[in-house]
Amino acid sequence: MLAVEDVSVSFGGIRALRGVSFTVTAGETLGLVGPNGAGKTTLFNVISGVQAPSGGRIVFDGRPLAREPDWRRARRGIGRTFQIPQPMHELTVRENLIVAQSFGAGRRDPARIDAILALLGLSPKADRDASTSLSLTEQKALEVAKALATEPRLLLLDEVLGGLETTTKRAFAGTLAEVRERYGLTLIVIEHDIETITNLCPRALVLDFGELIADGPPREVFRDPAVMRSYTGEAAA
Amino acid sequence: MNARAVGVAAALLVVYVGVPLAFGGAPYVMSLVIASLTIAGIAVAWSLLGNLGGLVSFGHAAFFGVGAYTSALLTMGAGWPVLLGLLAGGLGASLASLLTMPALRLRGPYFALAMLAYAHIFKILTVEAEPVTGGAGGLLSIPGFPTILGLPLASKTGAYALILTIVIASCLAYAGLRRSRIGLALRAMHDSELATRIVGVPSTRLKAAMLAVSAFITGVVGAFNAHQIGFLEPDYAFSGNWTLLPIAAAIFGGYRTVWGPPLGAVAIYLLDQLVFKEFVPSGHGLIYGVLLGGMILLSPGGLLPLLRRWSPFRKASPGATVAHAGR
Amino acid sequence: MTELTLQALYSGLLVGGAYAMIALGLALVFGTMRLINLAHGELVLLAAYIAFEMERGYGLNALAAIPVAIVIVGATALLTYLAISRIRHERELNSLILTFGLAIVLTNLILMRWSADIRSTSNGWFQEGVVLGGTLFSMRSELLFFLIGLALIGAVHLWLAKTWNGRALRAVASNRAAATLMGVNPARVEAFSFVIAGLLASVAGVAVYTASVVYPALGHNLTVKAFVITVLAGLGSVPGVLIGAVMLGVAEALTATFLKPSLQELAAMVIFLGVLFLKPSGLFGRSNTVRR
Repeated sequence: MLAVEDVSVSFGGIRALRGVSFTVTAGETLGLVGPNGAGKTTLFNVISGVQAPSGGRIVFDGRPLAREPDWRRARRGIGRTFQIPQPMHELTVRENLIVAQSFGAGRRDPARIDAILALLGLSPKADRDASTSLSLTEQKALEVAKALATEPRLLLLDEVLGGLETTTKRAFAGTLAEVRERYGLTLIVIEHDIETITNLCPRALVLDFGELIADGPPREVFRDPAVMRSYTGEAAA
Repeated sequence: MNARAVGVAAALLVVYVGVPLAFGGAPYVMSLVIASLTIAGIAVAWSLLGNLGGLVSFGHAAFFGVGAYTSALLTMGAGWPVLLGLLAGGLGASLASLLTMPALRLRGPYFALAMLAYAHIFKILTVEAEPVTGGAGGLLSIPGFPTILGLPLASKTGAYALILTIVIASCLAYAGLRRSRIGLALRAMHDSELATRIVGVPSTRLKAAMLAVSAFITGVVGAFNAHQIGFLEPDYAFSGNWTLLPIAAAIFGGYRTVWGPPLGAVAIYLLDQLVFKEFVPSGHGLIYGVLLGGMILLSPGGLLPLLRRWSPFRKASPGATVAHAGR
Repeated sequence: MTELTLQALYSGLLVGGAYAMIALGLALVFGTMRLINLAHGELVLLAAYIAFEMERGYGLNALAAIPVAIVIVGATALLTYLAISRIRHERELNSLILTFGLAIVLTNLILMRWSADIRSTSNGWFQEGVVLGGTLFSMRSELLFFLIGLALIGAVHLWLAKTWNGRALRAVASNRAAATLMGVNPARVEAFSFVIAGLLASVAGVAVYTASVVYPALGHNLTVKAFVITVLAGLGSVPGVLIGAVMLGVAEALTATFLKPSLQELAAMVIFLGVLFLKPSGLFGRSNTVRR
């Protein structure tokens, strides 16, 4: 479904991504890990069209995405959440989804919106203001809900579980798995939490300083000496 | 029949029937009312662009002039019927707004000034295109309005009804847009464009669309004015007053509301022409400047929200009233 | 042909000096507070009419108007600052509208007091011709105020670079919060920049009166030229303002000479849009406040 081909990003003398290449088949769930600053969010920015790469290209459904703007990619089926939730502040939770659905999916389906709200536990807050009345967990849930309303086929989740405490995290991870099953999604998940990655993703990619240094099942990847070095900065024992 | 419908019917009766009955015999007053409604139309267009598009423009005179000249030229040169010319004027102004699209990338104040530059440019181009537009001398004998269903639109009462309809239609369109999904997306865009783009909202296109709509309304109003007055010249058609008065009116009336700007326009223009002009024959335009400055300092949301805040009928939470004044 | 070009360049240069004086005040305020004072041209105009009043009402040389203008225009500028500092939200845009309104008020006040008649100096000395190098012609006042303008601009540049107050202004312009930490009172600096703008506007106004004609609508024209130059120069560069002003003056002169005088304004507007779209930080500016 997705092919990332030799993608590089440089700005201001910093090389955020260097020649990253990998493919994702439909239905896969891919974990994306790496120390802070490794380029994970940058990679999401390139795939979703928020940032243009300095080199390489993204191919989605066999079609190079070259200069398609972010909003067009959202309509094509690439959904994305942000690390720091970006709700549409002046609107209610439901209205957030209405906008996402009208513009991202190009249709009106109030039933589907209700279903998404229920699945993510947002139904009680559906008609409340999106910026002031949500807890952190709910804000993160709204991020996912918005993306779901656009009817994506590929969903990029950027540290959706970040900042949540352990039990909440496990519950949310369970919700994500449910979402994946219900809507038949292909996921790429950025997380720092090794347990989540291991449980949710059959395959993990590791980025370090913009380079892809490992690609495989999480258990193997996390025992890879190169990966351990990137996290601890020293040779593994 | 609920109270609201009765209120609307009463208001329509007052404006369509009551006003002509009361002032029909005073052509000077009717002229002033017509002029105030012309300003009102531009004021609606201006606040639409500001509220929905999030763009403040200092150059609406450009669209007014383009609309006026487009309609005048098509009706004079190509024999188009006047009412069709009005629509053509609106479309012409919308097309002109396409030329201003690069300005959409600019931040607030610079967009405003860029639009001002465009207004100057269109005026100069109109003067230079003398063979077509009559140059600085302008156009004379622009055809007047036809008679529709027995009502002579060229008469004061007829013209009044026409511009009134244009203004009301514009307000309804504006209100409709605000309530629609496009309106929702536009509102969200003010806060975070990225948040909307990532769910598929083509933010720049929406802004351009709002600019085109605002230009259209202004162009129709400009065309109306051309046929009502009967002649045009660049200094008049592109005069800064077509920018200044609507802005002052909109801010005075409450630019965050739909009906505030047109009401403000009628109020302030009549006040200026009937009262201030008597006391200060030269320089009474002062009032618009005082209004603009005063409103910005006292209440950026305009008079209407101010009134709502002080009204005994306000809702339980004052914060909600002021905040919702514009929604 | 070249003689014509040289004359156009020369005239453009001289008028550029006057433009620079007009624009510098606007540019200073723009640099310090990041806002455009749309009433700036009216300040210049006010000074011009004060010069007219001095000449016709009191029989004094127009130059004597400069100190008077400085007081009156300076006070007006300070009042403008006080009004602007009361704005709490969206200062850039609201101050634009506020000063837009103020400009209308000033123009109308001028209209009320002095009527719409076109005024210019009746003192022949100012308007006598001066020929440079045998071929380059200008009015005495044009040359005089060009030199005064250069001197003023040089003085402001040195002031900004060498004095404590000047450096404080530059500090506030580049980083208001950091400047506060260094013991600078930003409000005072901002007020000061307005007063200096008033000072420059006063001299510029007298220059305009002696070298040209004045009428109430001129204020708006001057403001437009000033902000075109300010944006052309970009943030933070005084020499940039001079160069930008001269460029505008020369562009206008060349347009008037080789095309049509009526297209002068078009030249200015096209330059303006060109800068906004192509090089928003201006020719010499350091940061970009223009694009989203």
